[in-house]
Amino acid sequence: MSSFPRTMPPTRPEIVTGDAVDRPGWARLATSPDHKVISLILISAAFGSAFLAALELVLVRMQLAVPENLFLSAVTFDRLLSVYGATAIFLFILPLCIGLLYYVTPLQIGSRGTALPRLGQTGLWLFILGGFLLYASFLFTPPEAGINPFPPLSQHIFTPNNGVDVWIASTGLVTLGILLLAIDLLVTVRNMRAPGMAWRRAPIFVWTAAIVCWQIVIIAPIFLAALTMLMIDRQLDGGFFTGGVGGAPLLWQHLSYIFFTGAYMAVAVTMLGAISEIVQTFTRRQLPGRGVIISSLAAIAVIGTLAWTQNMITAPIPVGFKYYAMLLSIALIVPFGLIFYNLVSAVSNSDFHMRGPLRFAMGALSLASVGLAVEVSQSTIAVGSQLQQTYDAWAATHFALIGFGLFGGFAAVSYWYPKMTGRMLDEDRSRISFWVMFAGTLIALVPLLGAGVEGQVTDSYRFFASDNLSRFNLLASFGTLILFIGLILAVGNLIRSRSEGAASTPDPWRGSSLEWLTLSPPEPHNFDVLPDVRSTQPMQDIRDSLVRREVEEAAPAGERQPVA
Amino acid sequence: MAVLSRPGKILTLCSTIASAAVAMAFFTTPASALSLNPDAASPGIEKINTFHLIIFVVGVIAIVFVNLAILRAARPRHRHVHSEGTGGGRQMRVGLGLGVVALALFVTATVFSSQAREVPVGSSDVAGLNADDRLEIKVTGQQWLWRYDYPNTAFSYHQLVVPVDTTVALDLVSADVVHGWNVPSLTGKAQAVPGKTNRIFFRADREGVFSGRASVLSGQGYDAMESEVKVVSTAEYEAFIKQLKADIQEAQDSVVATQERELREAAEETPTGEVEPQP
Repeated sequence: MSSFPRTMPPTRPEIVTGDAVDRPGWARLATSPDHKVISLILISAAFGSAFLAALELVLVRMQLAVPENLFLSAVTFDRLLSVYGATAIFLFILPLCIGLLYYVTPLQIGSRGTALPRLGQTGLWLFILGGFLLYASFLFTPPEAGINPFPPLSQHIFTPNNGVDVWIASTGLVTLGILLLAIDLLVTVRNMRAPGMAWRRAPIFVWTAAIVCWQIVIIAPIFLAALTMLMIDRQLDGGFFTGGVGGAPLLWQHLSYIFFTGAYMAVAVTMLGAISEIVQTFTRRQLPGRGVIISSLAAIAVIGTLAWTQNMITAPIPVGFKYYAMLLSIALIVPFGLIFYNLVSAVSNSDFHMRGPLRFAMGALSLASVGLAVEVSQSTIAVGSQLQQTYDAWAATHFALIGFGLFGGFAAVSYWYPKMTGRMLDEDRSRISFWVMFAGTLIALVPLLGAGVEGQVTDSYRFFASDNLSRFNLLASFGTLILFIGLILAVGNLIRSRSEGAASTPDPWRGSSLEWLTLSPPEPHNFDVLPDVRSTQPMQDIRDSLVRREVEEAAPAGERQPVA
Repeated sequence: MAVLSRPGKILTLCSTIASAAVAMAFFTTPASALSLNPDAASPGIEKINTFHLIIFVVGVIAIVFVNLAILRAARPRHRHVHSEGTGGGRQMRVGLGLGVVALALFVTATVFSSQAREVPVGSSDVAGLNADDRLEIKVTGQQWLWRYDYPNTAFSYHQLVVPVDTTVALDLVSADVVHGWNVPSLTGKAQAVPGKTNRIFFRADREGVFSGRASVLSGQGYDAMESEVKVVSTAEYEAFIKQLKADIQEAQDSVVATQERELREAAEETPTGEVEPQP
């Protein structure tokens, strides 16, 4: 039996990603072009940012807990709000999505690395630089022009301090970094799929990666162009967004909302793709509506991004734009509805074992369903002209993005946690953190829907006792605190299980795609041997063939059945 | 260590949902929960209320349906698993797919029906609008108040006064940053953007004072910026304009008088003979 040499040389040393020079751990971490190391840094940074964003949200909600509160000044509130928005979107949700895709997709397509690893590494460092820049601004002036800083308010005349410049630089760096990562991933899934893995056999998450990366390749340059124009306006006395001198303040709204709406849909698509993988694995059966799900994901990305003017119903744009956005937003009911139906019915018709990933996935669908339904009503002109820019819109967006981003993110991370760390996530702590976060989200957001219907506008640092809004806001602040505690529990579970979790086998969930063929955590070169892919479930095929071989070896030689 | 057992889990979920529902029921009166804007004073807003009720009910039904399905799917149980292809799964899928499409079509039809189209959205068509007989008022947003320019050069700040039962066209512009005009009971929201005119219409059908808070972040005084409309009878409106013009005239006269007095005093202090001619 022990005929193997004690140390085996790598099967194919020349394809090992990274270098063999022995360096200290931090230097290896910082300079590794390995997609797994890059994504782990991205995902860890994303959860760190989630903590910061939640902290800022708690401070914002503390200010809004009681009417005419004097806890924060107007400027401090605006700064916290702006930094909260930038953190939640650019440092938490987008890096989390791209990090998940960047970790899992090369493994799922049976690749030994990414196509352009140095590009991915550059992307990671641009992201880190952007993140540090945003928080370094607390040393001088944080941005204060709002979550989406509309010019002319964000122009030099009205905000002469450096805050908006920091916002431009940091979001620009992060967007550029994410764009580079997306290009790398796009080339990888295009060119480096294992033998036999045609697109029709690619896992849903690989399709998701292709859809999301194409989307980012289209929307990120638009946003970068808008940022460049704003920077020229501020630094070089440009007039891109100055009304009356040939510029148009509305141009910023168009360009930025193309990006923000697209990013919203990218988050939804990524997490629905991850949830589909989770449902497929936990129900132990291929999703019957695989084709429907993939085409619906693509439809969400395309239609959702094209419906950017749904955010501009109150802006002076031609009414045709508004009808167009309204029609597209309503059309989104169809792909979202089909995906929800497919996933929920797949769970419903199976004998699953409820574990952390599936629980978070169901929670994500539940919260997102509320958010999406309210978003549809927001995007109609009639209701939108009343409810946009109120806390109803805020709650809808947060329902959808906390549902998809936070719950979907925890679902995906706890699903691939054994693969990433080689250890299982603690199930009890996962369950407790889920329920605390779920209750917190409901208590934090449902009252805000009511506050929005009562007419409370967003972004204001205080509200007045005469407006009859106190009860909603107090309850929402309380819920935000619960959500924050739940988030600490969940992130703490991720950290603790890393050292204390039970060791995981390479394939703890009996998944059907190729990432479960690798060790947990995978070797730097991912695969020693690349399998031939013959179906949409290559890992299932491998398990079946192993079983077959065992049966054959157990049977006497004379009675061996011929293999077809 | 099973901290939350299965019944505990269901209990937690049910109590969360129940407490959220109770909270909502407790915090909102039925009128405000079902009517978006109970204080509506314009035909357009009443139509929005009707439309909102429809889409609210459809949305609530959709949310409840989806979440019940999720709860049913995720509840712990031991059941026989249907093998693929049995139980009419395909017909069921097709049926539900068609159902989703039908829902989308229904919402589209509701939204694009003449009823919902005729709300004041900045288009020129408002139900009952008489093109010849409309009052055009220019509304200028500036940090952090509104200026109203009435026809015939009268202007005022803070409060817009309009006659009842008259179609009013507001031309929203901004002198500095983007401002959010917001009077829920009369017009809904509209942005005042520099360099661009945003025209909205309304027709108040009862007298009163209607206000709302500015809805686009416009700097540090944003929280206190209010848009306020006072609807009065036609006679009162004419009296108001007359008074406004008289006040403005008086203010201008006093400014002119002050200037003249200062000039005269300056001239008395410095005799003309001592002024050296400037090169």
